[in-house]
Amino acid sequence: MKVSLNWLRRYVSIPEDPEVLAHDLTMFGLNVEEVLPLSPAFEGIVFGRVIDVVKHPKADKLVLCTVDTGEEEPLGIVCGASNVRPGIGVPVAVHGAVLPGGFKIKRTKIRGEASEGMICSEKELAIGEDSDGIMVLDFEEKPGADLTSRLGNDDVILDIEVTPNRPDQLSHFGIAREIAALYKRPLEINDLFGLDENDPFDLSIEDCEDCPRYSAAFIDNVKVAPSPPWMQKLLKAVGVKPINNIVDVTNFVLMELGQPLHAFDRDMLENDSIVVRRAKEDEMLVTLDGEKRELDKEILVIADAEHPVALAGIMGGEETEVTENTSRVLLESAMFEPRLIRRARQRLKLETEASYRFEREGDVGITKLALERTCRLLEEMGAGNPGPSCRDLVADAKRLEKRTVTLRASQANRLMGTHLSASDLASLLERLGMASVASDEQIDVEIPTFRRDISQEVDLIEETARLYGYEMIGHDTSASIHVFTARSERDIRNNKICNYLASRGFAEVVTTSFMDPGDPERLGLEQGDRRSGALKIENPLSASNSVLRTSLIPGALNVVRRNLASESEGLRIFELGKVFIPEKNNKGLPDEELHLLAVLAGNSRPMQWLEQARMFDFFDMKGELDGLLQRFGVDPGALEVLSAGTAVDGFIFEWLSDGQPVAEGGKISKKVASRYEIDDDIFYFDISIEALERTVVRSRYNDVSPYPVVKRDLCLIAGEKVTFADITNLFKKRAKFLESISLFDYYRGGRLGEGERSYTFRLSFRSPKGTLDDDIVDAEIEKVLEGLKRDLKVTLRSE
Amino acid sequence: MAEEDLDRQAIEDLVESASRAIAGSENLDSLEAERIRYLGRKGELTKSLRSIKSLPAEKRPAVGNAINQAKERLEALIEERKTSLSASFVEEEPYPGDFTLPGRSGFSGGRHILHSVMGEIKEIFAGMGYSIAEGSDVELDYYNFEALNFPPDHPSRDLQDTFYINKDILLRTHTSPVQVRYMEKHKPPVRIIVPGKVYRNESPDPSHSAEFLQMEGLYVDENVSLADLRNDVTYFIRSFFGQDASVRFRPHFFPFTEPSAEVDMSCFSCRGEGCQICQKTGWIEIMGAGMVHPNVFRYAGYDPDAYTGFAFGMGIDRIAMLKYGIDDIRRFLTNDLRFLSQFWSEREMGE
Ligand SMILES: [Zn+2]
Repeated sequence: MKVSLNWLRRYVSIPEDPEVLAHDLTMFGLNVEEVLPLSPAFEGIVFGRVIDVVKHPKADKLVLCTVDTGEEEPLGIVCGASNVRPGIGVPVAVHGAVLPGGFKIKRTKIRGEASEGMICSEKELAIGEDSDGIMVLDFEEKPGADLTSRLGNDDVILDIEVTPNRPDQLSHFGIAREIAALYKRPLEINDLFGLDENDPFDLSIEDCEDCPRYSAAFIDNVKVAPSPPWMQKLLKAVGVKPINNIVDVTNFVLMELGQPLHAFDRDMLENDSIVVRRAKEDEMLVTLDGEKRELDKEILVIADAEHPVALAGIMGGEETEVTENTSRVLLESAMFEPRLIRRARQRLKLETEASYRFEREGDVGITKLALERTCRLLEEMGAGNPGPSCRDLVADAKRLEKRTVTLRASQANRLMGTHLSASDLASLLERLGMASVASDEQIDVEIPTFRRDISQEVDLIEETARLYGYEMIGHDTSASIHVFTARSERDIRNNKICNYLASRGFAEVVTTSFMDPGDPERLGLEQGDRRSGALKIENPLSASNSVLRTSLIPGALNVVRRNLASESEGLRIFELGKVFIPEKNNKGLPDEELHLLAVLAGNSRPMQWLEQARMFDFFDMKGELDGLLQRFGVDPGALEVLSAGTAVDGFIFEWLSDGQPVAEGGKISKKVASRYEIDDDIFYFDISIEALERTVVRSRYNDVSPYPVVKRDLCLIAGEKVTFADITNLFKKRAKFLESISLFDYYRGGRLGEGERSYTFRLSFRSPKGTLDDDIVDAEIEKVLEGLKRDLKVTLRSE
Repeated sequence: MAEEDLDRQAIEDLVESASRAIAGSENLDSLEAERIRYLGRKGELTKSLRSIKSLPAEKRPAVGNAINQAKERLEALIEERKTSLSASFVEEEPYPGDFTLPGRSGFSGGRHILHSVMGEIKEIFAGMGYSIAEGSDVELDYYNFEALNFPPDHPSRDLQDTFYINKDILLRTHTSPVQVRYMEKHKPPVRIIVPGKVYRNESPDPSHSAEFLQMEGLYVDENVSLADLRNDVTYFIRSFFGQDASVRFRPHFFPFTEPSAEVDMSCFSCRGEGCQICQKTGWIEIMGAGMVHPNVFRYAGYDPDAYTGFAFGMGIDRIAMLKYGIDDIRRFLTNDLRFLSQFWSEREMGE
């Protein structure tokens, strides 16, 4: 909310420098976002009297003026304005003057004629919008007198952030009230025009919930004219455009007291009556902005005997607008149900100064007072004859009852960490104009009607904390911290997983939780796949971000594309993030599953002189996956690996534990990659963290044997149906003393038969109890070989 | 090809394989084994010398000559390798002659800047006895707003632009829903931090993002006060930004805390003098905080007379931007490795 410092000074003395005031208000909870001086941005502007005006000999639209600026010789000035004439007083920028924006005035020639200065318009001096002609001064000065202080505005504007709980701060008087409390200064009371409440005007309220109070005052013999300059200056300072005395006064009182007012042309009201009611379906109203509004029964209106004349609390109607011909005015000052105003504002997409305040629930106690203030100002300005009485309909009297809230000193101190007495607290609250009765321990505080935000004890504690000063509250703590909890195991493991991958040369990425609704199809996911149906956002920022991701892959592919495009040769990235799988049973909330996705794309290492360039392949990916699983407690050899499908030039495998998927990985098909505009081969694995947690096996360490190892190399020939895993599992299960088994050669084709494969293993045997004899080792191997031959038809190559 | 040439070729092949074996021998023993294999009494070269006898007389001298030459070459190689193997490391001829050649390298990796900042912040709070709680990104309106004292149809809801799934389900606009969810399931004392992603329906610009990371803190016990809040928050800010940071609390409004405060810290760039970063105020807004509102306790099933508590919340993206002088929040989700990799190094960075 923009407030004028000069305006505030009408109610409270403020000797402070604006910057100091801004700081103090900020620390008092009224965050001042900007301090904007309106000081004159010009210099060297003097009073000039036009002596003579003749036509420019060479230009139709220009005139030559002779202007007395107090010098010995009058100045010759070329001017283009049509309203310049002999005798008038004008602001003259003489040689050396500076206009707003830093524009410097020099003697010059315009179309061959000397011009020794410039006669200025309001706009050129940045004190008004009028640029049609030069500014004709409505006051007298000696020619040559400096006009800086007469034309300039010494006001300063403060832009204050008003939080939604404090509608009472949406006015100059409200802010002044805070300043008075802050600096412990008296507050000036406004001049009022006393109004009796016995006017017989025909006013009714359909539902007291919708409109707890409606006050109306009446002005006869209205003379519509411009409002006085002092009022225009204040309104302009806070960005309100002056229109005429009636409108300006209502705006002035709105900005002064925060109470929105509306002026109706009383003679345009059918049957000279007003009813506050819900609109009927199909009713219409043309509002002041010229828009035709369709109404419904959720919208509250002010109506005359026939039809709506205003949108309650939002905007008046065109038909009953005050015009030059208006002679009788009805002034409305009312209170409406905030939620109704809010819904109507949202539905009609029409936010006004009035609706903003009514939505925040103003002060039900102020409606009549605002009328009395308005009437006083109108009378002073000679805009008409107010009163003598008004109509003040209080539909909901409960709202005007005095409210009392009790504050316990012990609770205040407990919450703030202070040691204040009940009377200390009472005197703090008194600064806000809150009367209270204090006993030893508690204070009963009477809450003014303008503080709707205070309804319970804690609200008062906040006020006392603010008045006492947050910075005065020390660091002495009454609570001893006795909560020490272990860190979450999951958080620790996830952090370790990420650090592990980072040190393996993977870059962690964080991508958007949104995806394009076309992504599942782009990935080639089948209809039945649980990732194919994504949760839709009702109000997305854009269509391509309109569903929640069901897979981390689209985000990662976008990262791959962008980075390969910026000439990266290859990359390894990973993301640990949530995917959102729609779920019907949990109140409509999706299953949020934590996944780890790692992606390898392009060259397997940066180009360098020692190593041959090579693209990433399937076994780079698998090596990383196995390494990760092993490190975090899952034996990759113990997982079942299933082919989960192939696409054109792509393949996917699933790693299962007890039939439940733990990870998925493979090569992204060329077709899918091309949909993300990527040419390179991309390999990935995707681990479900929840599944990983279920699969982790806690293990005990093994003692290290001091005895020597016995090594044997074996070359085995296996048929098409037998896998590496089948063979090694058999060894691990059957061979006693087997310490490790590793594959160091593998081939197909050549001298082998159709579908046959050759595996060369190195087996290491060791016993914890003593040196192994060759015989024992050979017997163990023989035992397994028999089993291999019998169960899997695997044979030694020599056979 | 003449027979003689064939023999010569055989000798050359022999020399070739022998010299490779010599160069590849890793110690004096294996070198000796190679010497015996090629030059020993039963060695390969010696055998070929003997086979000369079967050649026609006119060819013998030429082939014999070649064999002797080969023998000399290999003996010299062996001698050289012997010297090389017995020499100490520093005297060794540097392979391949240029020390400044780069070593082998792979891709380097690292944590995302947001997560490393988050990790550092978690560590600080873990040291203060906070444990970690997490919630879901998709939340019920009830937990995101209503139970946090944002009444339906109230202007306080305009403070946070929200993405909706439907009228009851939304993307959480802050991590605060976890406050109520956690208190519903745990009895006091409660001392948790809640890291997570949050969403706001705002068009992205340099200082706004539709999704960002936030961290919430909550401490509830019998006598927690505003003074305790000041203590914990000051400890955190000094641990993270440096011991000389000053902290100030300004009254503010949040529906779910009362009294509420906005927490500023002294500008680390200008040390309070006023600069671009602090918008000439000397202070930088760091987080929102306050005492848990009694209505929130009521929603969570706690007795507001028995317990008091504080809560605070901060944007991790904003804190990372401040600490590292990053001027556009959108960089975090762009994931350009040229940006991310700058934050992998352990060196101190910042303005
Ligand atoms: Zn600064």
